[in-house]
Amino acid sequence: MNPSSLLDGALADAPATVAGASSLDELDRVESSLLGKTSVIGEVRRAMGSIDPGDRPVVGARLNDVTSRIEALISARRVELELEDEARSLTEERVDVTLMRASFPRGSMHLIQQTIDEVVDIFVGLGYLMADGPEAELAWYNFDALNTPPTHPARLESDTLYLAYGDPKDEVLLRTQTSPVQARWMETHEPPVYVVVPGKVYRQETTDATHLPVFHQIEGLAVDESIRFSDLKGTLEHFSREFFGPKTQVRLRPDFFPFTEPSADLAVSCFACDGGVPGCRVCGGAGWLEMLGCGMVDPNVLEAVGYDPGQVSGFAFGMGVERLAMVRHGINDIRHFVENDLRFLGQFQ
Amino acid sequence: MKVPLRWLQEFIDLPTTEPDELAFVLTMLGHEVEGFEMMEADWTDVVVGRVDQIAAHPDADKIRVCQVDTGSGPEQIICGAWNFSEGAHVAVARPGAVLPGGLGIGQRKIRGVESNGMICSEKELGLGDDHSGILVLDGQPPLGADFAELVELPDVVFELAITPNRPDAMSLVGVARDLAAHYQIDYRVKERPLNTSPGIPKITVSVEDPIGCRRFTAREIDGVSVGRSPLWVRHRLSKVGIRSISNVVDVTNYVMHELGHPLHAFDADTIVGNRLVVKRAAEGESLTTLDGEERRLTAEDLIIYDEEGPTSMSGTMGGARSEVSERTVKVLMEAASWDPPTIMYMSRRHGLLSEASARFERGVDPNLTDMADARAAAMVVDLAGGRVLEGVIDENPTPIGPAEVVLAMSDVARLLGPGFTREEVGGILERLGMKVAGDDPMTVTVPTFRPDVTRPADLVEEIARIHGYDKFTSTVPLGAAGGLTPEQRRARVLNSALVGIGLHQTVTLPFVNQADLARLGWSDESHLLHVTNPLREEEGTLRPTMLPGLLNVARYNVSYGAGSVSLFESARVFSSHPWPEDPRLPDQVSRLAWVLVGSVGPSILGLETPSADSSVSLALLRHVMAVLGHSDYKVAPGSAPGYHPGRSATVELGGRLIGHVGELSPRALREFDLPGRVAIAELDLEPLLRPAPRALAISPSVFPHVDFDLSFLLSDELEVAALIDASAAAASGLVESARVFDEFRGAGVGEGHRAVAIRYRLRSDDHTLSNEEVAPVRQAMIDAAEALGARLRGA
Repeated sequence: MNPSSLLDGALADAPATVAGASSLDELDRVESSLLGKTSVIGEVRRAMGSIDPGDRPVVGARLNDVTSRIEALISARRVELELEDEARSLTEERVDVTLMRASFPRGSMHLIQQTIDEVVDIFVGLGYLMADGPEAELAWYNFDALNTPPTHPARLESDTLYLAYGDPKDEVLLRTQTSPVQARWMETHEPPVYVVVPGKVYRQETTDATHLPVFHQIEGLAVDESIRFSDLKGTLEHFSREFFGPKTQVRLRPDFFPFTEPSADLAVSCFACDGGVPGCRVCGGAGWLEMLGCGMVDPNVLEAVGYDPGQVSGFAFGMGVERLAMVRHGINDIRHFVENDLRFLGQFQ
Repeated sequence: MKVPLRWLQEFIDLPTTEPDELAFVLTMLGHEVEGFEMMEADWTDVVVGRVDQIAAHPDADKIRVCQVDTGSGPEQIICGAWNFSEGAHVAVARPGAVLPGGLGIGQRKIRGVESNGMICSEKELGLGDDHSGILVLDGQPPLGADFAELVELPDVVFELAITPNRPDAMSLVGVARDLAAHYQIDYRVKERPLNTSPGIPKITVSVEDPIGCRRFTAREIDGVSVGRSPLWVRHRLSKVGIRSISNVVDVTNYVMHELGHPLHAFDADTIVGNRLVVKRAAEGESLTTLDGEERRLTAEDLIIYDEEGPTSMSGTMGGARSEVSERTVKVLMEAASWDPPTIMYMSRRHGLLSEASARFERGVDPNLTDMADARAAAMVVDLAGGRVLEGVIDENPTPIGPAEVVLAMSDVARLLGPGFTREEVGGILERLGMKVAGDDPMTVTVPTFRPDVTRPADLVEEIARIHGYDKFTSTVPLGAAGGLTPEQRRARVLNSALVGIGLHQTVTLPFVNQADLARLGWSDESHLLHVTNPLREEEGTLRPTMLPGLLNVARYNVSYGAGSVSLFESARVFSSHPWPEDPRLPDQVSRLAWVLVGSVGPSILGLETPSADSSVSLALLRHVMAVLGHSDYKVAPGSAPGYHPGRSATVELGGRLIGHVGELSPRALREFDLPGRVAIAELDLEPLLRPAPRALAISPSVFPHVDFDLSFLLSDELEVAALIDASAAAASGLVESARVFDEFRGAGVGEGHRAVAIRYRLRSDDHTLSNEEVAPVRQAMIDAAEALGARLRGA
């Protein structure tokens, strides 16, 4: 047979053969049977040398034409089969996404830590540093340096936990407030002083829904050349609005602490009822929530650390971290904080 | 302190009686109103009447027919009580009245005789328990007057929290004085004139402890008849929460509430030897107090003695032996000023916190004793009769006078800001009872009832308080350069990193139960730090390790069904060694600790979830070190109490031991009743948070890597870390990483040995590695490993 008719025959048969390939593997075999060495086309290609030179260009052109037509058939079929394959695997690999309930585990920051970090950040924004101090502390720093006389009832064994340590004349106790860090800080730093001090404090308390023998306070201290009562008020107003919300109102009323004069108690307007809804879950209808004690630093405290109360003045404040968190999150039992039930801890992200 | 508005109004004409407004004003004056009670009469239509005539009932023996005038002529009322006679003033419920409990009173016939109302007893009016007869009114109140007015109803009773610096405010006068200063009006103390009879007291007093007793004043009242107080006294006392005892005793409480000065009435005839001595007790003496309790005295107790022995505890509670009783005829009315700390300690020592001790521990003005005593004596005569002897006992060993404080307007401006005038400042101070002289600076004379005011700052507080804290503006100081230190920032990074991989931060109490330490195998108790006065044994020892607290939390959560408990905490641990930062204090370093129980990581369907064990603990350690940028750390086999000795490690950072990481020992596992294996660690926090040296940038190599695996047989004693270090060291710096991907024990591996497969990755910074170059390096690495005793497997 002459090469041209062979090629015509191969071309005529090819569409059916290619269409008959039902998988990519079969198509590979079909491709080699149609275009490979042993195929009609392969044979014609090999025989080219023996063809009459006058016919060669015609046969060669025909060979190339048939080859590319068959190749086109195969690649079209390949696209078809690949699409089929993809469609099939999309169906076959389908999963029930509602079964996929796992997540990477996420722990939780303790609410006390979160509260401390948040409060500290508010004051850092106002130019405060954060300080730390010992929990086992000298009575001197916890009381004497803070203008608390030796006969003050807070020093009684019924209120303060004392430690069996060291020289009896250096009474060592578990600090009852974060305020001793004020005195330590001022002893080692010159004014201006702007610090906040979060930390644990200890009291001789019976544990119940509102008391723990160990809880957390955040102390703040500002001492500078012209600190006035209005600075105390403005600073704590700023804090209260940042922490409880922009609509928060602040009320200062006179109170008494040994280490401040004048002293004040700060209450914030209830964020839940905006004041005065009887039986409010947060404020009980009072409209105000007592949040912290504060005042202008007593001149005796400034003198005790070597500052001149004629040159500098300051204010100090102290707040209970548990109280802040309990009020804001509606927690009714302080013992939750130390129970560390994961179901409790995990609620606060 | 309870303050009834009606009683307070005796001292001040208030511009408002609106309870909410008064509560706000009192609170803003520093006397926090903890609440107020609205009191209303629990009846209607009860008026004052006079019994003009009493006649027998024609058909009954036990009841009588009375003609009672309530201001509009006689009305006939049947009454069953017999404790009154013609002329008595009584409380009459008129027809239409409603009594407590909803009892309606109407006109009705009793045994055929008409009765137009009812004569009431105290009990029927809900005023007390007395039902022995009807209420006979003292003082002939006007007929037809509303009976509720006699007991001052309606009324409001404020509950004030008086701060410890204000002894003067523990009284109606003190509260009135502050209100007067606020409203810029006057207050008054109603005179109670005292008439005396010639004579001097038979009792003498000697103060042997002038520190404890600042002043002792007393008057003798002879011929009293002790009995019941009139209604108005009883009901004023009842509103302030004091039970009526007798007219003489009620006077002491009444005057205490008015003036803030506690008083004590002795039965003068029971004072043995007619002599009282004030001194400290002898250890072991005892005294039976008014409440019938026998008190064992200590050498610090300040006691009033007579010749027989202790007869009264000064400032806290009187003695039973000298108590005023129905038989008392002669009263010694004492008004003494006691040393505040002495009373504070004594009252707490004996658990005797009273109205009197609350005032004395704040400091009762020694210059008030005589006025209080005279007022009480006069009132005793009013209520119980008798005569007051003109001789006064007044021991005043160390008289004190008013303080003088110099105040400059610049002091005021410095603390409170500009805007205060000399006039405003002077006005405020004068209304508070101070005398102000001079212009600027001014000399302020502070009365002795204000012991809290001794310095300019104290006066500034008074000015701010009366001016009103709510009237100050708000400013925010400029501040300084604030921020967190690198250590503080890193502590937050550490917390976030641990939370981010599934750990929950805990806060545990820093005490330790010694039984828990024993469970952990902690045998050395010699350096535990103890509390000398714990309330409960559980709070007697501070924790030397974080682990028991965390293990108990794990146990708690497991008991509630948690299958995965991953916890961490950073806090202080304590010992009785000196603290390097301040040796006057005990050691108190901060530690990071973790405890993991159960599954760790995501629980993905079809994939096995790892469970907590030592490898998880070590992975966590590497995570912490990576997060904090530490590479200069070393892990070596090592244990500590509570750790599994074969599955735990010491951790060194920068050449210093910082703690342990690994797994809980099987025994502790049992003791703490925890399932599976438990990953634990405890590390010193401070070195972890110290910033690591700043990394210098290295440009990554652009040349291809060569990977190959080596499998070694090695004994259990040879640490893989040592093998890797040695083999890598032999590779001329070409080893980029070495990762153990298999450890096998068993068939083909001798007892006490294991096969460890390691994938090494080599790479050069400056050229492509050829096979010819790698082959000798690989051999050198094998030689180095074999030099340690390992053997290349399959070689």
